[in-house]
Amino acid sequence: MAGELASQFTPILYALGIGVMAGIPSLILSRLLSPRKRYNPVKFLPMECGQMPTGEGRSHFMMQYYAYILMFVVFDVLSIFLYAWGASLLAIPKEATLPMMGFLAIMFASMAYALYLSGRKGIW
Amino acid sequence: MATAPKDFRFGNFVGSLVWLIFWIIVIVSLVGLPLIFIIFFYIPLPYSNGEVITPYLFLSMIVDPTRTAPIIKFIIHTDFFRAAVFPGFAFAAMIAATTIYVERKFLAKMQLRTGPLYAGKIEGILQLIADGFKLISKEIIAPSGADKPIFWTTPIIFVATAAALTVLIPVAPGWVGADLDVGLLAIFAILGFFPLIALLFSWSCNSKYPFIGGLRALHQMIAFEIPFILSALSIVLLSGSLNLTDIVESQYSFWFFIIAPLSAFVFYISSLAELERVPFDLPEAESEIVAGWLTETSGMIYGLIQLGTYLKLYVLAALFVILFLGGWMGPQIFPQEIIPGYTGEKIYNATVINGIFWFTIKTFGMIMLILLPRGINPRIRIDILLHTGWYKLIVLAFINMFIVLAMIYGGVITPGGLQ
Repeated sequence: MAGELASQFTPILYALGIGVMAGIPSLILSRLLSPRKRYNPVKFLPMECGQMPTGEGRSHFMMQYYAYILMFVVFDVLSIFLYAWGASLLAIPKEATLPMMGFLAIMFASMAYALYLSGRKGIW
Repeated sequence: MATAPKDFRFGNFVGSLVWLIFWIIVIVSLVGLPLIFIIFFYIPLPYSNGEVITPYLFLSMIVDPTRTAPIIKFIIHTDFFRAAVFPGFAFAAMIAATTIYVERKFLAKMQLRTGPLYAGKIEGILQLIADGFKLISKEIIAPSGADKPIFWTTPIIFVATAAALTVLIPVAPGWVGADLDVGLLAIFAILGFFPLIALLFSWSCNSKYPFIGGLRALHQMIAFEIPFILSALSIVLLSGSLNLTDIVESQYSFWFFIIAPLSAFVFYISSLAELERVPFDLPEAESEIVAGWLTETSGMIYGLIQLGTYLKLYVLAALFVILFLGGWMGPQIFPQEIIPGYTGEKIYNATVINGIFWFTIKTFGMIMLILLPRGINPRIRIDILLHTGWYKLIVLAFINMFIVLAMIYGGVITPGGLQ
């Protein structure tokens, strides 16, 4: 049974393999066909619109909307939980939806509070 | 321009051709044919009219057109064919290629330009092939300080991930690469990889514009992933299944678009954002950050990422059709038999052909709808984008979910009525 379930997914692995098999030969062919001129080191500098780049590309970055990332981590999981209920809605009794409404109420309240906090200036 | 070099001799040219043909014959007979026989020794061979098809019989049947039907039938029902050719990669890549051409012409017409015109006699129809040759013959420049292994492998991973999405799309009854019980969740799961790939690529470049673009891709994903997931929830409530084939079949009597128009709107807007298309093309905003996370891509790396992007476009348009527009459902317009009175092995199936026809028509309509905003909309600001995603779309998706729930519990729609 478990093996049967897992074998449902084999076409996805095939497709991943096909994607790789389409990608690698095209890069190799491109490497064979294209000119390779390496006399000018300026050519390999990172693109900065013609200016000489200063500093590292991978520097510390200010994540201005960091609060939304924290919210995503929580609410993405919560919204996926709803699928477990949604897929079996037609099979479960009506009373079983009541706890789900409670779950949604908690989710809404917390989401509203999180959005209120993330909209406040000065604390982030 | 292409001119013959000075020391060109026709005899040498013919000689090189003969030499090439000689080597092809040698390699085919010494390596190719034994390889075919070894492969056929290991794969399970099909039966035809009570006899096992051996390699010898297989080759003779391929040559004889009247006997190829069982072989074709065997091949088109293998998992590999489905993943690689028909509902999977090749079909999606063909649609993606058509989309690129159609998009260029369509946008050009909207902006009173002509678009591709010279490659090919008619309306620049060979432009895509010309672009392909151009991309493959350009030098790939990895910027100095780039993380080379990641830089070279991420475009391939991007294409492979997009190809993995295409097998999950059912195009006709029974015609799907991977018929999963959790098909919808699998699509969401695989779609979640794309911003990570974008961020990984942009990090590997050691350049500032790609890094800004990658971070923007991440923000965009987190703003629109939740409305995207919630908008499909009302469809799951209506059909009671996560299997995409079941979802299409539960729309036998009416399309879910009629009941869940708000969800369809939210799904459409969030798929624009997932695809990084105008007005949500902040990760590759040309006028702000050069080309966003694609700044350091050149040559075939850019080509691969474009291929993956358009495969993704096809998948999201097809997903919209499956969830809201009834998938392959449509009036039967193909005749039941092409050749009346033919009794041999049949490949043609009127229902399947009809399904593919309607699915392709609807998907193309949806692709055009996704392309449309690029001609008419400006780009939106990132704080407005986050605000739209978090405040408006989530609320709209929940409103439609409650409407659907009320209709189910109010007895307007019953599980029996859905069939």
